[in-house]
Amino acid sequence: MENSFALVGKGYLIVAADTTAARSIVKMKSDQDKIKALSPHLLMTYSGEPGDTLQFAEFVERNIRLYQIRNLYPLRPSAAASWIRRSLAESLRSRHPYSVNLLLGGYDIASDDPHLYWIDYLGTLSEVPFAAHGYGAYFALSLLDRYHDPNATLEEGLATLKRCIDEVSKRLVVSPDKYKVKVVDKDGIRDVEL
Amino acid sequence: MSIMSHNGGSVIAMVGKDCVAIASDLRLGNEAMGISSNFQRIFPVSDRIYLGLPGLATDVATLREKFRFRVNMYTIKEEREIKPETFAHLVSSTLYEHRFGPYFIEPVMAGISKTPTGGVKPFIAATDLIGCLNFAKDFVVAGTASDKLYGVAEGLWEPDLEPEDLFETISQTLLNAVDRDAFSGWGALVHVITKDKVITRTLKGRMD
Amino acid sequence: MNSSSIYRPAGFDFSNEIRNNFLHEKGLPLPGATSTGTTIVGCLFKDGIVLGADTRATEGPIVADKNCEKIHYITESIRCCGAGTAADTEFTTALISSNMEMHALQTGRKPRVVTAMTMLKQMLHRYQGHIGAALVLGGVDITGPQLFTIHPHGSTDKLPYVTMGSGSLAAMAMFESSWKPNMEREEALTLVKAAIAAGIFNDLGSGSNVDACIITATGTEMLRNVEMPNQRVQKERDYKFRRGTTAWRKEDIRQLIVQEHTKPVGGDEMDTS
Repeated sequence: MENSFALVGKGYLIVAADTTAARSIVKMKSDQDKIKALSPHLLMTYSGEPGDTLQFAEFVERNIRLYQIRNLYPLRPSAAASWIRRSLAESLRSRHPYSVNLLLGGYDIASDDPHLYWIDYLGTLSEVPFAAHGYGAYFALSLLDRYHDPNATLEEGLATLKRCIDEVSKRLVVSPDKYKVKVVDKDGIRDVEL
Repeated sequence: MSIMSHNGGSVIAMVGKDCVAIASDLRLGNEAMGISSNFQRIFPVSDRIYLGLPGLATDVATLREKFRFRVNMYTIKEEREIKPETFAHLVSSTLYEHRFGPYFIEPVMAGISKTPTGGVKPFIAATDLIGCLNFAKDFVVAGTASDKLYGVAEGLWEPDLEPEDLFETISQTLLNAVDRDAFSGWGALVHVITKDKVITRTLKGRMD
Repeated sequence: MNSSSIYRPAGFDFSNEIRNNFLHEKGLPLPGATSTGTTIVGCLFKDGIVLGADTRATEGPIVADKNCEKIHYITESIRCCGAGTAADTEFTTALISSNMEMHALQTGRKPRVVTAMTMLKQMLHRYQGHIGAALVLGGVDITGPQLFTIHPHGSTDKLPYVTMGSGSLAAMAMFESSWKPNMEREEALTLVKAAIAAGIFNDLGSGSNVDACIITATGTEMLRNVEMPNQRVQKERDYKFRRGTTAWRKEDIRQLIVQEHTKPVGGDEMDTS
């Protein structure tokens, strides 16, 4: 089953998503990147209906790129979140709605702080200090409640994330084995090995 | 499990002496799983009108955008601020427009209007999800804890409360009602609107 | 982008329909709209019509409004009591009232009760019962006093005394036992009050107070809360909390009155003598 986690710390944001591509009960692939870089300081994990997920993520990516080309500066995280929410809410009113759950995280270079948004397929949007999607959320959220510190350093933040991933691997029956972890801060996006 | 209780949340508004108060909890849930403990569901419409939108969270955002647009259009066209009574009808007709495919929101609004004599008139109203207005003289409630709020408010509310007393009454009503509701809680926010200021307080509440 | 258009077409907006059906298919039951369990009546007497209604609005088992108004204005000499889905009765009567006013201005005549009745039945029939309004329409026009009931599907009855809503059986019992032709005004009002009271006390969906409306050729008298048999008694003590009871962690005060201080800088003050 698909899991994604994210948390904000002091001047950075960590995002993690599993890398399995499954179809029915079969694991087709175990190195799929489900975190999309939307702009130099904006990241998005996507999970849900296979097909919808990538289609929607690319749709968002291209539109955010288009905005940047037209206006010479990228959308700020809060604006991107509102636009994505609106797209999902409108999609839900169409005949074939996207069934996609997202975690949108970005570093706002204008106000110099990280932001994280929890978004689901209904178009629910909420800014949160940490978030998770999938069955792993049931384990991760309680750990994050206990260990998340908004003033923690990147090392401490990654250690908290590792706790979540380890717990899910240990206790969840249908747990994925590999995760992709990305960090965004004032210098942009980079991959991190746990 | 109904759509109305998918995200949880409750709102209450009360009338006092030349003041009104509107309060809500801060929980956003996904069925039984809590997502956020800082989800705003009360929005300022004008200086003296506040609107609470308990119900499905996606519609909270959609309707908030819609009402902001419509109130702005009204203000531009009419070149004056919208009155609470007029705004209540705007909310009502917007929801009734969606009579056959409603938004899953039961709005609660509170505000004060100025009378021609220079005094102020407190105003509260609530509608159901298809826009049937309820102008109450005492209090209005909505959300997943509405039945509990009705009971507590019926017992605690009394006429002509001063702003500080109204704050205590609405806060205690809300806190005690949401403690008996699994889908509401996780902190609370209270706005007390008086003639010359709006007092907003974040309450200490149970986090379970 | 439907929402960015300022000019919206009239009528209902079905844009949420697909989404709501989709959510319904996922196993989430769609909530029902607020229904008014109600007692509404109308009664013919010598000089006109008396309409009556209770004042309770319900949401399932909860009393949502203890003193709502169910006698709606159509024209000066025509009124309409509503039962069923609360929002539907409210908006349907408001729409017809508006159309009746337009009709009156267009024709230059006082509109008739049958006109309102026809407009209502045609509208309700067009919506095939989906607009859940059950109405008692009464008024006086050039043809004399008229009294109708209109059902949600658009069928109508013309009778000398009528009842509708969940308390209709209790109210009808009063009419069946006491109504007679050519009653006096006071006699008719007493009977209507008794019929509504029967609904208030014997039907759970009805309650609180009695509203009545007397329409004659000479004028209309709206008697709001003509009987209040369920007044709440004065509380002996109160539950006022001592200030400071509720703990709060953050306060933000938004001053609505802008304070402005003018401080003269340098030089002598202006000579105003």
